[in-house]
Amino acid sequence: MIIKGKYPIVASTEDVWDHLMNPEVLSRITPGISELQPLGGDKYLAISKIKIGPVSGSFEGELELKDMKINTHATIVINQKSKIGNVSAEIKMQLNTIDDITEIEYNGEAKLTGKLAMMGQRIIGGVVSTLSKQFFKTLNDEMNITKS
Amino acid sequence: MSNYIGQSIKRREDDRFITGKGKYTDDIVLPKMTHLAFVRSPYAHAKINSIDTKAALAHPGVVAVYTGEDCGNFGVPCGWQVNFKNGDTMKEPTHPLLAVGKAKHVGENVVAIIAETLQDARDAAELVEVDYEELPAVTNPNAAIQPGAPQVHDDIPNNVVFDFALGNPKEEVDAAIDGANHVTKLDFKNQRLAPNAIEPRSYIADYDVTVDKYTLYTSTQNPHLIRLLMCAFVLGLPEHKVRVISHDVGGGFGSKIYHYTEEALVTWASKQIGRPIKWTSDRSEAFLTDAHGRDYVTTAEMGFDNNGKIVAFRVHSDANLGAYLSTFSTACPTYLHATLAQGCYTTPLINIDVTATFTNTNPVDAYRGAGRPEMTYMIEHLMDTAALEMKIDPVELRKINFIPAFDGVNQPGYQTQVALQYDSGDYHATLDRALEMVGYDQFRKDQEEARKNGKLLGIGFSTYIEACGIAPSAVVGSLGARAGLYESAHVRVQPTGSVSVFTGSHSHGQGHETSYAQFVADTLGIPMENVDIIHGDTNEVAFGMGTYGSRSLAVGGSAIMKSLDKILEKGAKIAAHKLEAAVEDLEYAEGKWTVKGTDKSIAFGDVSLTAYVPHDYPEGLEPGLDFSSFYDPANFTYPFGTHIAIVEIDKDTGKVTLKRFIACDDVGNVINPMIVEGQIHGGVAQGVGQALLEGVDYDENGQMITGSFMDYAMPRADDFPFFETDRKVTPCPHNPLGVKGAGEAGAIGSTPAVANAVMDAISHLGIKDIQMPITSERVWKAMNS
Amino acid sequence: MLMKINVKVNGKDYTSEVTPMMSLAAYLREVLLLTGTHIGCDTSSCGACTIKMDGKAVKSCTILAVQADGSDITTIEGLSQNGKMHPLQSSFKENHGLQCGFCTPGMIMTAENLLSENPHPTEEEIRHGLEGNFCRCTGYHNIVKSIQHAAESN
Repeated sequence: MIIKGKYPIVASTEDVWDHLMNPEVLSRITPGISELQPLGGDKYLAISKIKIGPVSGSFEGELELKDMKINTHATIVINQKSKIGNVSAEIKMQLNTIDDITEIEYNGEAKLTGKLAMMGQRIIGGVVSTLSKQFFKTLNDEMNITKS
Repeated sequence: MSNYIGQSIKRREDDRFITGKGKYTDDIVLPKMTHLAFVRSPYAHAKINSIDTKAALAHPGVVAVYTGEDCGNFGVPCGWQVNFKNGDTMKEPTHPLLAVGKAKHVGENVVAIIAETLQDARDAAELVEVDYEELPAVTNPNAAIQPGAPQVHDDIPNNVVFDFALGNPKEEVDAAIDGANHVTKLDFKNQRLAPNAIEPRSYIADYDVTVDKYTLYTSTQNPHLIRLLMCAFVLGLPEHKVRVISHDVGGGFGSKIYHYTEEALVTWASKQIGRPIKWTSDRSEAFLTDAHGRDYVTTAEMGFDNNGKIVAFRVHSDANLGAYLSTFSTACPTYLHATLAQGCYTTPLINIDVTATFTNTNPVDAYRGAGRPEMTYMIEHLMDTAALEMKIDPVELRKINFIPAFDGVNQPGYQTQVALQYDSGDYHATLDRALEMVGYDQFRKDQEEARKNGKLLGIGFSTYIEACGIAPSAVVGSLGARAGLYESAHVRVQPTGSVSVFTGSHSHGQGHETSYAQFVADTLGIPMENVDIIHGDTNEVAFGMGTYGSRSLAVGGSAIMKSLDKILEKGAKIAAHKLEAAVEDLEYAEGKWTVKGTDKSIAFGDVSLTAYVPHDYPEGLEPGLDFSSFYDPANFTYPFGTHIAIVEIDKDTGKVTLKRFIACDDVGNVINPMIVEGQIHGGVAQGVGQALLEGVDYDENGQMITGSFMDYAMPRADDFPFFETDRKVTPCPHNPLGVKGAGEAGAIGSTPAVANAVMDAISHLGIKDIQMPITSERVWKAMNS
Repeated sequence: MLMKINVKVNGKDYTSEVTPMMSLAAYLREVLLLTGTHIGCDTSSCGACTIKMDGKAVKSCTILAVQADGSDITTIEGLSQNGKMHPLQSSFKENHGLQCGFCTPGMIMTAENLLSENPHPTEEEIRHGLEGNFCRCTGYHNIVKSIQHAAESN
């Protein structure tokens, strides 16, 4: 499944980068994530709870940031396991500065297994798109609140 | 007295089903019974690095945990050997009871957990840690044979199971296609289907240490075959130590023919733990592991001369058999498929070429029709498409090409170009009757009118033939079957004249308890109430090959007739003795032997009592009235018919509505018209399901994305109108009842009729073809591209 | 942990201790041994488990036994009264509305509910009313006929 999109954030590229790289902020704004524990380096243990249509489950697994260039781009590698199936994804994030707006461009692929793939896949594209928008909207709100 | 044949007698089995007293496998509870749950592979293709079962073993209620290492030597076999064109034996990898080393499709059994309750077993299953290393997967049969494709089995190059060809020499067929006046060429995808019997598979194994015997309760279509395969080819058990029972079975449609890994596993494990074990599939497991149907990717061409006569038919298919070879999988794209390429037409040159492949998907096997619906869809869809292209009426095109009527008695059977000899047929008769039923001329006027009003109406035809009553052992043996395909029957006349019939065929919805009793009662001239039909227990029935391929009545019924002949022959000797007459002077009618031209007679019940109380008895004759028979037919049977669909397509949404469905079938003689019609209805619904709704899809990683009833479109009551059915009768010339079989006809004939109707409705918009299932989305896209 | 429930099933009162995870379908089948209620799926799509609970047709595979505490339940086994078959039962037999019989109990319970709400439904209403019940054998043809026939004899 391809995950792809753009979202403009009204903030400087440096600010956006700092927020995105802050595990405490990330765990607060990422839908479903309840915990993000540093494992050393750029690896984290992520614990999340997600409900997609008829399928819901608790996920646990690694989240890693790699290919990082400060204020420019990073790749998020996610390997989440649950009783209803596993998710593995690699998503590249690019920050583009357009005047006083930072555009986050993301592009990647996710693989699903188990019940998650069997029963959720047909609607999951829509769900991912909704969750992504929710993530960026919360990030946007969060940053503008922090600013003011 | 009795005249049951041909009457729509209400089914005696219904009394238990409508009151909730059916006895399906999962309804059975044995003392000290344990429950089994599987850990199944979440990956289509993965190396199993390690399995940690410690936590599962420690879970409360867990009795035992097994992995592939524990039962690694056992594997379920394939029942049909097909050789490569060069004579090499097909590739036949071991299908282990639990995955060993690698998992090769999503849902493959990896770990078995046995516990006191199902909940305990399932909870413990979640504690098993399997370290998988995911490997690239391949799911499409055509992609699987390309160089560099992922290898399902490390030692089987290019994933090829076998290649196969049937028919006339390829060069001759190629030349005829090249020289044809018109060639219609289509690419086909006979999509993968999930059989979805509403009763999920269920097995209970019970090993009794005191007598060293096993009992397996199983939801199968052929208990004896399961016993034979499991004992002789999997577990190495002596057959007399194993009893297989299948009481009521909630639908099969092919999916319950096969010997599954789970069946052998529960049987083996029951001895290990010394207690009964039950496993019942849930629906998700059913989607993942019940053998699927169809899944061919094909290119087919039909060449015509300038009079519309077919000059040649050429087919190349890649058939997807999944990750392992299921019991009859290899027969489906070959001998149950290529042999049907003649259709009901006089096509002089035919060549079928098939490559069968392994992929990282669930095994594929026979599903209602098995190979024949796929071929029929190709032939009949080509016919309607060719008619459109050549601007000939599709009915006319068929009539030009039909094989003339032959009864198999006064005219010989019809020798096809693809190995079979048809028994009897009158293809014009069913077509003419179906045209009458639909009102063809009026329909074309209505269609024109509807188009003027912006409505899209279409009519589609299918004049199908099929080979069933599967059959002659010598023939199927020469084609690769590893078993005979006769049937056995044991008829025991009880001392007081009631009759117990033990049949090796199996009823899982077909109503044998009623229809068999009808012809037995008629043949013996006794009331139906005095006849009992027993099936589904290897301890009661001596042997049997089970029910599939529309064979029960044609083969199983004929075996019963043989035993009845023997009973009447012996009965006549006893009667002659009692009546002090010669056997030649007796006639048997209405349940009694009468001395011709006199009123001296003796009733069936008096003869049977004499047979068991032989105080005054013919010299040299054994007591008793009890005969077994095996019937091995001379040929397959060849039902045929015409199906016509009328559809309306919504211009805005692309939704296809089935407005009318007309079926005029010829299944030979009919014992119980109500039951035969019911079989046609059910078959048609499944065929329409393939045309419009159903399809198993895997994503590019081999994950099944249609694994529930919310994702897989099952036909529902409001997808159909009432079906309009009628029959013609061309008796089968080579079996005593003259019957041909009706179980699969509906599913074979209906699919192309519906697909053709859709194209008839929209081809004037410049649309060439739409692949099945013809969903609203696909129609809408085709209309808007 | 076990929880105590009181239910009336087919006119008889039962008190049982069940786990909170147990579905009503499993309770009927495994505890009361009323195996006429069948389980055909895990997404409440197929309708084989349909029963009547407090006068309404429900799919017992997606109701927990503990939720049924205090309720009045009718299963296929309780449909015939005093040894006399319910008109729908006889109509299903008369019209060949079943083949393998597995979907039949749920089909009949759904039909009973349909006719109690709409005693004289049209063909379309019947087909619509059966949307939540799958049959793989009959093509629904004779099921619809059976229900029409039962409605006519009402």
